[in-house]
Amino acid sequence: MLSVHQDVLQIIQAKFSSFEIVKSVHLNVSILGEYWSEQHHILAVVAYHSNSALFLFSSKKPKPFHLSDLIIEAVIPIDENFECLSDPIPGEHNYLLFVVRYRKVSFEFRIKIGPESSNFASEIVKSKERFLSEESDKRWLLKYTDLYNSLENTELKSQLDDIPFIRQKMAQNQNSINRDSMLKYQLKLKEPEFTQYQEFTLFIGTWNVNGQLPSISLKPWLSSDDDPPDLYAVGFQEIDLSKEAFLFNDTPREAEWEKMVLDGVHPKAKYRTVALTRLVGIQLIVLINTKHYQYIRNIAVDTVGTGLLGKMGNKGGVAIRLELHNTSLCFVNSHLAAHVEEFERRNQDYKDINARINFRKYPTAIKDHDQVYWLGDLNYRITELTTSQVKTLLIRNEMAALLRADQLNQQKERGNVLLDYNEADITFPPTYKYDLNSDTFDTSEKARPPAWTDRILFRGKGIYQLAYRSHMELRISDHKPVSAIFKSEISVINQAKYRKVHEELLKRMDKLENEFLPQVTVDQTEVKFDLVKFREPQFRDIIIANTGQVPAEFEFIKKLDEQSYCKDWLRITPYCGTVNPGEKCDVRLEVNLESDLTELDDILVLHLNGGKDMFIIVSGKGQKSSFTTSMSALCRAPMPIMNLSEIQWKKIVALEGEVLYSIPRELWLLVDHLYKYGLAVRDLFESNSTQESFVKIRDWLDFGSTEPLPGSVETIAETLLIFLSYTKEPVIPFHLHDVAIAASSNYQSCKNIINQKLPDIHRNVFLYICMFLQELLRHSNENGYDAKTLASLFGEILLRDPIRNSKPQASRENLVSFIIF
Amino acid sequence: MARDYDHLFKLLIIGDSGVGKSSLLLRFADNTFTGNYITTIGVDFKIKTINIDGQKVKLQIWDTAGQERFRTITSTYYRGTHGVIVVYDVTNGESFANVKRWLHEIEQNCDVVNRVLVGNKNDTPERKVVLTEDAQRFADTMNIKLFETSAKDNMNVEEMFLAITRLVLRSKREMKERQNFTQGETVNLRKGNKQGKKKCC
Repeated sequence: MLSVHQDVLQIIQAKFSSFEIVKSVHLNVSILGEYWSEQHHILAVVAYHSNSALFLFSSKKPKPFHLSDLIIEAVIPIDENFECLSDPIPGEHNYLLFVVRYRKVSFEFRIKIGPESSNFASEIVKSKERFLSEESDKRWLLKYTDLYNSLENTELKSQLDDIPFIRQKMAQNQNSINRDSMLKYQLKLKEPEFTQYQEFTLFIGTWNVNGQLPSISLKPWLSSDDDPPDLYAVGFQEIDLSKEAFLFNDTPREAEWEKMVLDGVHPKAKYRTVALTRLVGIQLIVLINTKHYQYIRNIAVDTVGTGLLGKMGNKGGVAIRLELHNTSLCFVNSHLAAHVEEFERRNQDYKDINARINFRKYPTAIKDHDQVYWLGDLNYRITELTTSQVKTLLIRNEMAALLRADQLNQQKERGNVLLDYNEADITFPPTYKYDLNSDTFDTSEKARPPAWTDRILFRGKGIYQLAYRSHMELRISDHKPVSAIFKSEISVINQAKYRKVHEELLKRMDKLENEFLPQVTVDQTEVKFDLVKFREPQFRDIIIANTGQVPAEFEFIKKLDEQSYCKDWLRITPYCGTVNPGEKCDVRLEVNLESDLTELDDILVLHLNGGKDMFIIVSGKGQKSSFTTSMSALCRAPMPIMNLSEIQWKKIVALEGEVLYSIPRELWLLVDHLYKYGLAVRDLFESNSTQESFVKIRDWLDFGSTEPLPGSVETIAETLLIFLSYTKEPVIPFHLHDVAIAASSNYQSCKNIINQKLPDIHRNVFLYICMFLQELLRHSNENGYDAKTLASLFGEILLRDPIRNSKPQASRENLVSFIIF
Repeated sequence: MARDYDHLFKLLIIGDSGVGKSSLLLRFADNTFTGNYITTIGVDFKIKTINIDGQKVKLQIWDTAGQERFRTITSTYYRGTHGVIVVYDVTNGESFANVKRWLHEIEQNCDVVNRVLVGNKNDTPERKVVLTEDAQRFADTMNIKLFETSAKDNMNVEEMFLAITRLVLRSKREMKERQNFTQGETVNLRKGNKQGKKKCC
């Protein structure tokens, strides 16, 4: 296993079953080209036995923390159709373009060149090699596509056609409105503007062939009319009654019957197969006159078994759907439950077929089509009449009485089956049950009453039936074939008008999409702070108002190459959130200066998820303070620093001029005060003084005053700690930090550093502080401080880490303790 | 999967502050114009779907802040851009002089080089200071197509956007052809060889 990010690999593995092994991952992938996206993406190679696939995830974070952060965006099998190549990106030497192709799908990824990319690429190469020696099986991938919604295996092939799978949202670049379905809906509404009706002749036929071999011409059935139809939908039942057909759903008869149909169609036109589908013995084939073939789109098939256990294919329905010009057509061939008394079972089978046919690829139900033609051996019988009564009525041609006894008519009347379907008047004799090779009704012992088991019904607008008949001359089965001719109105698109309407709609949808982008206004895009002083926070509130029509998710985002979304002297609360349309959100910008910056400048990027970015300029001036001035400079200042002229200030900051004091004046003032008034004060350094009192002391030091030092001794003690914590260079300068830490276990080494390496002023300060601490320890009975506590308190301040983090505390304590004693 | 477009491209409009970048976008996307000047502080985009030679192209057009102080931030938005529209103001010589810098900016930040040069506000001849001949000569030397537009009078705006889209379409087609052409070659990706076309598996 090769992967740089083991932790992420484990998170991704959690998305898969234990047989599906995540082999390698690649983080921080950006997508260019057709599916470009700015989201964080992750690629993963996943193996299942000898098969592998490339998964593309979008992640809520650059590095996911939990599997819920990840969404599968695309699945691409690594098999013979999988190709990948890499390309340099001009001007970007650290990145390469990684192109993955699978048949017509092409992805372009931008990835960083490094160990991660080469590991990942070699894993892909390995997966592909592994595949080449084995058999491909893509079925395991189905569950990762949205299409896996049925337990039936019969139509697996058409589902597999949808791999590689690409999430629709992604193809549409995650927009808030689903433009595609919107467009379809709007086009449907405007259809009359760009369509006209054209009549098509449809031939619908059904025949239960009783397992007989296809041995006779079908011409008498399929070509009995003068004019050729535009479309054929021919259904068979019981084409193969063998166990093999039932168990394995595989039969040579399928092709044989297809050939018989193709041979039997009307000689005055040329036809080609649009689709063929079969479930065990139930077969449906749709043919179209070749001149119309180019106007057929979105063909899909589906099958539903309702036989044994309610699932098996000995009974059930098969369906073909398609769009001819602008009209959607659905043909259903069903073979419902047998036996006179089972009419309720038949009703149920009908309902099951309706409920379970969904065409997967073009998710629609039977009822969603403009026109539906339902044919088949529906198996409804004539009830309450004996065989001889039926025969007598037939001889007397009393059809009305017979049709009243027909179960389908009865059940339909009661609303139990084929409710909104129409059926033409039946004028032909019952099509079941005949002695084989004869026109004689069943003469066997059972002598079943004749019945109209084989029927053709329809629903939809603009359908006119021209014929409904049986074909007695086909005698090989115990059923007679039935056929119906329809003149059906098909909506045909006028291309010029269509383009105009389509363009108008696109315009409207662009407008809608633009209107539905998140929109906010900010009451100020330039935020200016007053003079910002050391440790005296200021804040400004900005108001983000949602002026758009959708909730706006905002977030302050990082600028390129920056660590954080704002400078370290600024704090933004909240830095992200959601504002509902018409509502507002206050965002507080708080500045707190803890350095010697004099110019405060930052540009904030306020990003709206899925929308624009706004820039907010933050600026202010920082006031100098002795707290952030170096000790060496302070020792050169003849007066409080705010009283210095600009020239004097520049000079002392440049460390020019005479050193006037051995330690900074400010430090002496603080320590001297504590020496006089604070030595015996219990818990001297544990004050919780207010901001206000600190500011008074700060200004007293920076501006100078004739007044006595303000504030309690505790506050002054705290101010001392602050002073030592922020001096531009710590008492033990940064460059000696590591040496000092290393020496901390040895008294002599420490002493050497202090005496020989520390700059003069720093050494003075260090010794001065230590003397003060020794003085404090002399009063430890009163103030309660022991050496260890003081050492730990001051060690951290005198020996500051360049980056403020924790180094072994003990070392610092040691250093100071050595000195104090 | 069905989509309501055949191509999706990202376009970027850049140029000095006040040359009319937002107005061009507003004219093209919404067919509106407002005389009120609101300076863009940030980056904003609009969607526009167009039909070119029977192909539906969905454009996501980004409008950027032109002010100098935002330049480093706006440069990060060049990533993934398919075409760039460089705008100057024909009544403002400085904005034309700065075009060179903007073109340089593109080179620094973009891997695509589909560009058009646009002289906007070409509606008041008496105020025009950047002569068409000079702009054309410059455009020729930079090998870039020039359009003089007026967002206010709706002149040449649509044509300009169609032209840049055509350029992007063409380079996409050429890139595809190039990729198909090189598909036969074999190079190992594992070595991370940085030169030339590479192909694995």
